[in-house]
Amino acid sequence: MSSPEEKKTFSPSDAKLLATYEYPQILYASCLDPDRRALFVGGSDYAVYRVDLAAEKPAVEQRWRSHDNYVSALTYHDGVVISGSYDGQLIWTNAESGESLRGVKDAHAAWIRDAVLARDGSFVASVADDMLVKLWDAKTGELITTFAGHERLTPEGFATALYAVAISPDGTTVASADRIGHVCLWDVKSGKRLRRFEAPTFYTYDAVKRSRSIGGIRSLAFSPDGSKLAVAGIGAVSNVDGFVGPCRMELWNCVTGERIAACQDKHQAVLNHVAFHPVEPWIVAAGGGDGGGVISFWNRQGSSSTHLAKLKGHAQHFSLDAEGRHLYAAGHGGVQAWTLFPREG
Amino acid sequence: MKRTALTSCGGQDHTIHRRSFLSGMLAGSTVASFGGVGLEADQPAVKPLRKEQRHVLFIWLAGGSSQFEMWDPKPGRETGGPFRPIDTTIPGYQVCELMPQTAAMMDRYAVVRSLNTEISAHAPAADLISTGRPKEAAIDYPEIGVVLGHELAVRDSELPDYVSMFLPSEGRRRPNPGFLGGRHAPLLLESGLRPENIGLPAGVTDAQHVEREHLRELLSSKFAQRRAGSDLISGYNSAYQKVRGLMRSDHLFNLDQEPQKVRDQYGRTEFGQQCLLARRLIEAGVSVVKVARGFWDSHHDNFESHRELVPDFDHVMSVLLDDLDQRGLLESTLVMVLSEFGRTPKINPNVGRDHYAAAWSCAFAGCGIRGGSVYGKTDADGKTVVDGEVDAADIAATAFKAVGIDPEKHYQVGLRPVPLAREESHAIDDILL
Repeated sequence: MSSPEEKKTFSPSDAKLLATYEYPQILYASCLDPDRRALFVGGSDYAVYRVDLAAEKPAVEQRWRSHDNYVSALTYHDGVVISGSYDGQLIWTNAESGESLRGVKDAHAAWIRDAVLARDGSFVASVADDMLVKLWDAKTGELITTFAGHERLTPEGFATALYAVAISPDGTTVASADRIGHVCLWDVKSGKRLRRFEAPTFYTYDAVKRSRSIGGIRSLAFSPDGSKLAVAGIGAVSNVDGFVGPCRMELWNCVTGERIAACQDKHQAVLNHVAFHPVEPWIVAAGGGDGGGVISFWNRQGSSSTHLAKLKGHAQHFSLDAEGRHLYAAGHGGVQAWTLFPREG
Repeated sequence: MKRTALTSCGGQDHTIHRRSFLSGMLAGSTVASFGGVGLEADQPAVKPLRKEQRHVLFIWLAGGSSQFEMWDPKPGRETGGPFRPIDTTIPGYQVCELMPQTAAMMDRYAVVRSLNTEISAHAPAADLISTGRPKEAAIDYPEIGVVLGHELAVRDSELPDYVSMFLPSEGRRRPNPGFLGGRHAPLLLESGLRPENIGLPAGVTDAQHVEREHLRELLSSKFAQRRAGSDLISGYNSAYQKVRGLMRSDHLFNLDQEPQKVRDQYGRTEFGQQCLLARRLIEAGVSVVKVARGFWDSHHDNFESHRELVPDFDHVMSVLLDDLDQRGLLESTLVMVLSEFGRTPKINPNVGRDHYAAAWSCAFAGCGIRGGSVYGKTDADGKTVVDGEVDAADIAATAFKAVGIDPEKHYQVGLRPVPLAREESHAIDDILL
């Protein structure tokens, strides 16, 4: 075990790839069971897989298949994996036995894009392309409340998407973000919308040169003190046939509603997932695009970025262990396991 | 061959506006006079059609739309993607869930799911599909739309035979008049829905412009009397007549003249407004209209792009077919939905689909088409055609036959007889009335 001092000085450039756990399709979601050192992943073949990280040779092993479309969200709490899917269902499954405990068949009327668990384990927040944010009792699966307010169409009249959701560390605020660059903050207790940010750079639609949209805010993360929100996606795209635009991350002040920083990187990719790393000053993000797949670390002031690695394909999601020692990036072709503190051995 | 059917990028330098439209037509006349295309063939030859004018509307999904996310879904397969299939009005035939309105009016469509066109690079594939032939160094084949415009032209019409709509970055290419010559080039709407420079020159009234035209006609007829039978003079007169007609047709390009309700029905997307204009032009007598809707080239994020593009296509096409039908135009208008190719079964590392020409789909509706037909079949993963394979020449032959033109009719190009559709092509009779 390393000392706190060592963690504070870790450098992403020291990170090392430990292993690749192959999977023939696309993984969209992951979560960790910290007690049993197991990683759960799910994706385009509708199944949920388990990787026993304590095994001598960890492998991606199918555990259950209870969804009827892509598995797009996984979160773990107290021996239970809660999964969301493009089939609109949320399903609670015993992580060890694979027994389905409960399911909400029509949790959403469209693709579920993301689902996250409150830090205290009391509720789950889900978002979907019905443009609704829903809170669910994490134990019973009962619907607690619904937040509506995201536009149902893009300004050009096309279908949009509600990609991202995050819950503040104290569980009082939920953030959601959509394809056209709108971020909403919701008060969990009152159900009211507290604030709405517009981050239009994440959405590209050039009616003159290329009349198709691309981009969107793909991920959100609250800072450990809940005062800031990291917003991730892609900057202005020059060719909508692909993610031909810079990785982009913005930091917003949740209290004042002001943008604190906007940072782009020359690497051309969309950032599909973002999280505050437990060790200052890092924010970690992962994605992929014209420049290839990428995992990158960003300064919390948003002033600079350090690339960790280029991947074979898009990274769609990642899981960090509690201390931020290991990172598991899920995406096209499987999982990459990285150690961020290699000096620990 | 076993065939099965289920039953039930450029700049502004080539923009054709009023002046270049005129010069192109005149250039074409010159070609006709000096042996480019034989005179006999240069005369529109489908006389019976004059009584009931036929039209063709090309819907060109530039970049290559995905057959998986439209006409040939493969649910539950690794290649299938996340969209579900939905039933259509044809028993046993399903389309992607992104096309609910199309599914409900599938009795109007004929779908061909068995195209194998081999070429999967944009420009040569677009050439192939647009002409029905691979490129040849020795001969410059015209686009099918140009041939159809020529064949279906209404003599003495003041309207262009062919109007092609696309943005320079979108349709990727302009219809090539090929050996038919510039006089058959379409009127291009590239920067908006109205032709450029269509108004009168500054300081010239309409009456003055008409007087000028009368004077030109007088001089021209005197000149022609001394040179009886000159096709060049005939071409000049035709060209001026078209330009004058185009100027008089300015209102056609003004969608503000459509009732608000109709504009709203088509939707305010660019594709919707283009299709509304296409209907106006067809109704007014334009023989061939092409609407190019671009950005289907989904190498990255294929599912997100098709979530945007296909519902718009679905809605607009449904309104368009209804509108044509209600106006009594669908029976006389062949509607063709084409791309340069389809998209790969394999979902690539960027969650995209790449170019794929070995097994893809297109669709027809309207004039001469047996609605409610599904022709050909691909394997369970959509990788290969397993039944009713057709190629670009067959599609061209089908289009000609649908509007009553013999695909074997020849043009005489120099010493070479050139059939409208490539030798050995076969119209897909199963989808034709």
